[in-house]
Amino acid sequence: MKKLLVGLVLIFALACSRKVPAVPQTSPGAQQAPKAPIKKGVNAQDGERKFKENCGRCHNPPDSLSPREVKAVVRHMRVRAMLSEEDAQLILQYLAP
Amino acid sequence: MKRTLKMILALSLLGAPMARSQDNVPILSGALAFLGSSTGGANSYEPILAPVLVAPFGDHWLVESRAEVLGFIARENGTSGPYSGTFAATFDYLQLDYLANTHLTVTVGRFLTPFNIYNERMPVWITNLEDGPIIYTIGTRTSGSSNGFMVRGDLVAHPEWSVNYTAYFSAATTTENLQSGRAAGGRMGVFLPQTGLEVGASYQRFLQNGDYNAYGAYAIWEPPPIPLDVRAEFAHSPGGHGYWLEGAYHLASSRGTSTWLSRLQAVARVQQFIKGSNPQPGDFLPTVNVNQFDIGLNYYLPHELRLNGSYGRQYSSAGNANVWNFAITYRFLFPAWPGGHQ
Repeated sequence: MKKLLVGLVLIFALACSRKVPAVPQTSPGAQQAPKAPIKKGVNAQDGERKFKENCGRCHNPPDSLSPREVKAVVRHMRVRAMLSEEDAQLILQYLAP
Repeated sequence: MKRTLKMILALSLLGAPMARSQDNVPILSGALAFLGSSTGGANSYEPILAPVLVAPFGDHWLVESRAEVLGFIARENGTSGPYSGTFAATFDYLQLDYLANTHLTVTVGRFLTPFNIYNERMPVWITNLEDGPIIYTIGTRTSGSSNGFMVRGDLVAHPEWSVNYTAYFSAATTTENLQSGRAAGGRMGVFLPQTGLEVGASYQRFLQNGDYNAYGAYAIWEPPPIPLDVRAEFAHSPGGHGYWLEGAYHLASSRGTSTWLSRLQAVARVQQFIKGSNPQPGDFLPTVNVNQFDIGLNYYLPHELRLNGSYGRQYSSAGNANVWNFAITYRFLFPAWPGGHQ
């Protein structure tokens, strides 16, 4: 049991110590930093590829969702399918361009 | 059951405005299904409603729950007598998540016990065969759900490979419809997205009624160009060990094709269970060795409707039996707040 608890603490510490570049959040009213030019075609292709690699393993794209609904779906799947922040952002852009 | 329904209602009423305040729309998803089964001539029918509520708030928080209202209708004496039915409602999960970053999500509440893949990743609207595997209860005692806390995420998130992990502790709970066992455990997997391969291993230490270990391994392979799904699990506990191996193929030349024929999916599964030397009370495992194969056909209709049918043959020293299953499943998803669809 002690070994298990030590293992849990190590995993927790390791997870907290690793940082990835933050994905810009777009909440209304928030001041936004200047963005780099977005390559729409590349992002769409990447988003579609990420959707197929991750979500498409279990199900098809959902029928007609609004961007706000997609936001909830993608956050749900970030937990369920353990999507990375970067992949979740690309899938969000693919499903709600 | 009334208490569970009240909790669902309360969660909907509380969660929806909280989530909406941050321009997040809560959604109500899930499935409505009707399952029919015949095992050795004993028929049973199961209507199932499994609503999933997802309520994000802020930039990092999420409340999510899945309830299950399940009916079970069968003959009173197995193969004879009048039909009678019982209904029950349970929470599969009701959890608060804090998504810190790619590497860490912290969950508290009631969550699906993360042991191998079947329990957590294959709800009724995803699984290719409606009849669950024999080894399902290994590592998921007592109810498939845990009450406690969990950490999960990607240890490594590289475009060509990733390592995911889950670790949890669960307290023993005997409250009706919210049961869980006292246990601790975890799972770790390696995913190669370009080849569609994921392999992983699970461990659980069950900490009540005599401690014991359960461990398992799993593999999923979905080669990107081919509409083939291969899934497999192995699990071991003192009550026995076994495996299942399943292949499912859409009748299409490539993945993503949508024709009337590609909507048809052929499924086959083999599984084996070997009883252990130290069966645990309440582990719901067979008391004899069992071998079983299943073959099935699924048809994916438009509008998230799916038909399943399968036949299996079960071999054991307690007697061989035919296993027939059919199911119709409707998957739904809509906003849980007026105007959320805009």
